[in-house]
Amino acid sequence: MTNWIIRPATEADLGEIMALEHECFPQDAWSAENMHFELLAHHTTYLVATIDEKLVGYAGLSKVPASDQGDIQTIAVSPSVRGKGLGRALMDALLNEARRLHAQEIFLEVRADNPAAQKLYFALGFEHIDTRKNYYQPDGIDAWIMRLIMPQRSTGREPIVLGIESTCDETGVGIVRGTTLLANVISSSMDEHARFGGVVPEIAARAHLEALKPTLESALAEANLSLSDIDAIAVANGPGLGGAVMVGVAAAKALSIATGKPVYAVNHLVGHVGADVLERGQVETPTVALLVSGGHTSLLLVRDLLDDVELLGETIDDAAGEAFDKVARVLGLKYPGGPEIDRAAAGGNPNAIRFPRGLTQAKDMEKHRYDFSFSGLKTAVARWVEVAEAKADSGEGEELNVADVAASFREAVADVLVSKAVKACLDHNVPRLLLGGGVVANSRLRELAAQRCAEAGIELRIPALSLCTDNGAMIAALGAQLVMAGRKPSGLSFGADSTLPVTAVQTL
Amino acid sequence: MSCLLAIDTSSGTSVAVLRDGVALAEVEIADTRSHTESIGDAIASALAQARVQPAQITSVVVGRGPAPFTGLRVGIAAAIMFAEGTGARLFGVISLDAIARREFLARAGKAAAHAPSTGPLLVTSDARRSEHYWALYSGLDAHGVPVCIEGPSVNRPTDIEEHLATAGITAARTELAISAAAIGELFEAQLSAGVQSHDVTALYLRNPDAVEPKNLRDFGKRVSG
Repeated sequence: MTNWIIRPATEADLGEIMALEHECFPQDAWSAENMHFELLAHHTTYLVATIDEKLVGYAGLSKVPASDQGDIQTIAVSPSVRGKGLGRALMDALLNEARRLHAQEIFLEVRADNPAAQKLYFALGFEHIDTRKNYYQPDGIDAWIMRLIMPQRSTGREPIVLGIESTCDETGVGIVRGTTLLANVISSSMDEHARFGGVVPEIAARAHLEALKPTLESALAEANLSLSDIDAIAVANGPGLGGAVMVGVAAAKALSIATGKPVYAVNHLVGHVGADVLERGQVETPTVALLVSGGHTSLLLVRDLLDDVELLGETIDDAAGEAFDKVARVLGLKYPGGPEIDRAAAGGNPNAIRFPRGLTQAKDMEKHRYDFSFSGLKTAVARWVEVAEAKADSGEGEELNVADVAASFREAVADVLVSKAVKACLDHNVPRLLLGGGVVANSRLRELAAQRCAEAGIELRIPALSLCTDNGAMIAALGAQLVMAGRKPSGLSFGADSTLPVTAVQTL
Repeated sequence: MSCLLAIDTSSGTSVAVLRDGVALAEVEIADTRSHTESIGDAIASALAQARVQPAQITSVVVGRGPAPFTGLRVGIAAAIMFAEGTGARLFGVISLDAIARREFLARAGKAAAHAPSTGPLLVTSDARRSEHYWALYSGLDAHGVPVCIEGPSVNRPTDIEEHLATAGITAARTELAISAAAIGELFEAQLSAGVQSHDVTALYLRNPDAVEPKNLRDFGKRVSG
């Protein structure tokens, strides 16, 4: 993750804020009195960013309750940390606050001779609507007036949508109201798969059938709602394990008929992307999405959540999560392998062994630029361990260093995932990357993604882990987006499609 | 007015709506590979044909199999959720029992519906993989509920025959196929006998096809999906 912390400003920050104010705006700094007043005013929101408790940035929003317009009053980032996405992060935080306060339009002024700032504002959706001549004195620089029209929410009551997820080994039921999460309950059959070292489709499907009713009831209880409060039902109809998906689809259809509420069949992978609306109110597009789990390793280019999702690449053999499970077996670790390898890798040297990075050779990059392969890596680890143990047994080498193997393997996976995702962003000129899927829990993947994205000026979005792993809330969230966009429901004839393409966001 | 929704997906997709033990509508889709696609339309169209609103359904009964995995679950999942959505009570019956009841009734003639029938009856259904699900019945009890004397089990047809021969049982056969109306009628008989059951767990009669890896490093046996 990024190493700064963004929090509301307090009076105690005034000294450091003023120091940075003078550093950033030597000619026209505000007075300490003015700044003090703005910090404490009821109609303002001031945020500060700190690194190791040292203040490195601040930004302020003004929004009077009676008005539906807001102003970005100021934003400053210490020269020592510029170009790492902090300005963007501060702006995002202020815009989230503006959204929370129901602002419809946001205005700001920017110096005509500051193209870096202008570029950021354009990227956030601001337009240049007017120019004030000679605004900034004493330099006589023009000010651009820029405006952001906040994405409109439906004017009516936001729909309450219940989402059902059953594409792999998690039975998930989530409930949302518009973009607000009301409940997210998951029942996992993971433990039942442990002795097999991987998900057994039939065991997963049987578990879904048993978990459906209790999971639904828990979700309704968590949301403090009854089924009669639900406006629509959403269900993931693929991609995933066919027999598992069928349980959720049959359940959703019957619930739809019984309650008289429409059903929306949505794409599980696009659901992972849609999860972000629950934290941000919207999925900012375009975005590249890297979805990594025990069943999927996919790179998506999302230009529009409902209408334009493109598969850039995916694994040609094992999913990344599977590779973790299999290597865990090689190292004598438990299932699921991800957290076990994370633990074993602590203290290990990630550069001890240079394991192969699949599909990164020049010849592969032509045909498989955004595809992944983990089968060779898994075999390489198995062989390496075999050789190391043989040497240790014959007294030629030292005992197997599990921490080094785990750390080096994990590094190879994280490296290839993040490299290709960042490349996809740069190739398509997309300034943001969204992570999803259970493997996002992997600490090294998050760390490396944060580091490489910061270096490349890409904004990184990682929703809360409970929204990254398979869950019903993301399915409900995507369903609610369809409802709010006025899309028609799916009818009752859709099937379960284990290989549903990401271009099919909704199956009618 | 109490209406019953009966669902069975142990072979094709079959849905019926009954009132006072009489089928008002029945929808049958014989295809054994389209349960998921068919189940919604089948329920909706059975209700429409019977001119019954979902809220009028007070009980749901589902065939628990035995049946091959995937299709069976579709009917049970739909029954559970329909009951959940309407607040109807939920019941389960063994699908083979419904066939047995109809066969015995056919034998005895409808006029003598509750007269005891003579001679055991073997009911079988396709279990794929060259096997049959089967159960052996002695007849109907006073309420018209079939009395199962063996099964349900899953075996190869030759093994079933051999088993019966060894036991010295000569059993009659039936050509009847499962139908949701028969599921509903069986349930009504159980209700009158007071032997109805809320158990809706699937009767798979087989364990999942999964091999525990003997050697943890053996990647050859793919057990993951």
